[in-house]
Amino acid sequence: MSLLDRRLVIVTGKGGTGKTSVAAALALAGARAGRRVLVAEVGRDEHASRLLAPGAGLAGYAGREVRPGVTVMRIDPFEALGEYLGLQLKLRAAVDLVLRNKAFRQLMQAAPGWRELITLGKVWHLEQMQDRGRRRFDLIVVDAPATGHGLTFLDVPRVVVSAVQSGPLHRNAELVEQMIADRERTVLLPVALAEELPARETTELVARVRRELGIGVDRVVVNALVGAPFPRGLEDLDERLGRLPADVVLPGLPPPPVLAACAAHLRARHELNARYRDEIGRATGLPVVPLPYLPEGVRGPAQLERLAQALVEPPIRIGDAA
Amino acid sequence: MSAARATEPSALLHDRRILVCVGSGGVGKTTLAASAGLEAARRGRRALVLTIDPARRLADALGVGALGGDPKAIPRAVLDGLGVPQQGALSAMMLDMKRSFDDLVTRFAESPEVRERILRNRIYQHVSDALAGSAEYSAMEKVHEMASREDYDLVVVDTPPSQHALDFLEAPQRLLEFLDSRIVHLLLHPAFAAGRFGFRLFQRSAQRVLQLIERVSGVAFLEDISEFLLAFEGMSEGFRERARSVRARLLGPETAFLLVAGPSVESTEHARLMLDRLEAFGVPLAGVVVNRAREWPGGGDAPERVPEAGREAEAVRALAAALGDDGDAAAPAAIAAVSLYAAMVRSDEAASAPLRDAVLSRGMFWRRVPEQARDVHDLEALEQIARRLFGPAEERRSP
Repeated sequence: MSLLDRRLVIVTGKGGTGKTSVAAALALAGARAGRRVLVAEVGRDEHASRLLAPGAGLAGYAGREVRPGVTVMRIDPFEALGEYLGLQLKLRAAVDLVLRNKAFRQLMQAAPGWRELITLGKVWHLEQMQDRGRRRFDLIVVDAPATGHGLTFLDVPRVVVSAVQSGPLHRNAELVEQMIADRERTVLLPVALAEELPARETTELVARVRRELGIGVDRVVVNALVGAPFPRGLEDLDERLGRLPADVVLPGLPPPPVLAACAAHLRARHELNARYRDEIGRATGLPVVPLPYLPEGVRGPAQLERLAQALVEPPIRIGDAA
Repeated sequence: MSAARATEPSALLHDRRILVCVGSGGVGKTTLAASAGLEAARRGRRALVLTIDPARRLADALGVGALGGDPKAIPRAVLDGLGVPQQGALSAMMLDMKRSFDDLVTRFAESPEVRERILRNRIYQHVSDALAGSAEYSAMEKVHEMASREDYDLVVVDTPPSQHALDFLEAPQRLLEFLDSRIVHLLLHPAFAAGRFGFRLFQRSAQRVLQLIERVSGVAFLEDISEFLLAFEGMSEGFRERARSVRARLLGPETAFLLVAGPSVESTEHARLMLDRLEAFGVPLAGVVVNRAREWPGGGDAPERVPEAGREAEAVRALAAALGDDGDAAAPAAIAAVSLYAAMVRSDEAASAPLRDAVLSRGMFWRRVPEQARDVHDLEALEQIARRLFGPAEERRSP
């Protein structure tokens, strides 16, 4: 099942893996395929809007359509709480007065779980939203907090459902939990780098998801892969460059030892990436979605387009014998 | 640029007791912390590396296998092989953050009953996660404890990957502010606030909203939180004292911070934000390291074009001739690879440049640690990193 056929894709991964780039690229791919997409950021800072529409400013809680078919918003828990209480209690003015109060905010800072629940509740609300007889958003991409917190975040509805026996909160948490656990609607998308530590963390993440959480996970994105540096038949080109006499003068080129060092570095990087890409596939038992390393960095829509194309290719299953 | 004013990184190993590596996740803080510990030991200091989550093979490289919550000494034989003098020593330990928060409660609770009440309280069980940074704070608490011991001259710590490096400094403050806040007094001692004029409107609304939250949620939220606060109130004086001394130590002259960034645009932008925040907070930041930056093998800047503009055909011909047999296929392939690598080096350089300028203009040191082609999991690799981190600054050619 394609990522674009889900309703909710929760992108997660350690800092530095390119999680936000993947979320933004997935949104572009969705829009390209005719979906109405929402990118929901849940961290303190907002990054997706900067990638999708550089220079256009932040989208905030109100959200903004930054490109045709792609809306970005940042779910601030306090804003979401205000909205929720306002809907539940019809006392918006009193709610605002209290929510703006510093002491109340301090109290809520210490209170457990509600941020996660209200954030996911808002996601559920957005998923249910209708606009002139059709869904407001076909695909919601959540740029989840870095792993660790990312998982606790998904577990909160389940905990609330079991801890709170009845009342509106129980019913609401149950709806959120059902959304998270629905394999057709929702999927967790881990983003990894093909290096030792990130590979191990990703394997542990997937194991924990399977052991402890009801959410589905069906592929792993492996980001920033350096491709094969030389064509077939020339695999040892770096070594051959290394065997050239160091003092040969090549017009317009650096001396042979520099050429050899560049080629060797690139090859070593490629081999390391390939090894850990396969290891991630094998250790998790999941197909991988390889994304290329982009030397210019992910700066805006041009690079996102390249990642978007690679994201919707069928994932690769790493064979046990590979 | 007045880079001459900057402290030399190697001086930190001699004249500080605590070295804190901060930076976002995935930039290699653990590796740099380990290499700083090793370098300190080589300079005859007794160093302890406190780490959050080392790559298993890095722990193996240190010769300590699985790290636990107690310091493990690197065997003397290993240290001898690395040129660590007799007076030098290196130990490593893992920080178990949840446990050290429990330690805190255990230490400051008035009685075993109070301790049990806190540890069992639902609010407490969540508070270490919910109060942003309290886990990080516990880690710093441990750093303080280890740095107070006589066994170590230098404690190097890699902080947990947190989005916001300052959480661990702000967390105790936040908790104390919260304990001191009006709303807490209101909850604990409603009678205290009842008569005071200014509170009335807020009090009425707050109670109404809290009651409504309870009604909506069906949770005895207020009951739980007041129980927690009452239990905590007794220990808050001890906690306050402790938080004050941890803070004084971390911001004091015995400590230096090292900000670590990766060579990407995202990472260096994040580091620049962090630089401002650290400065605003009065953190003793000594310098910034961009880790795993690719370098041009010949030294200096990577060329803009490979081959040089206008000499493409000539270059291919010459390289093809030098490579022999299949040179016609091999030469363009080799040139393409070198050209790609040059682009990678330039990209890392372009991403780092604004950060470097910001760092040097503040009179801090700036170091670049090159990407290692292989994973870092032996002591030799750590040594190579240390050489760059604690060696002299690179000469930069003027443009």
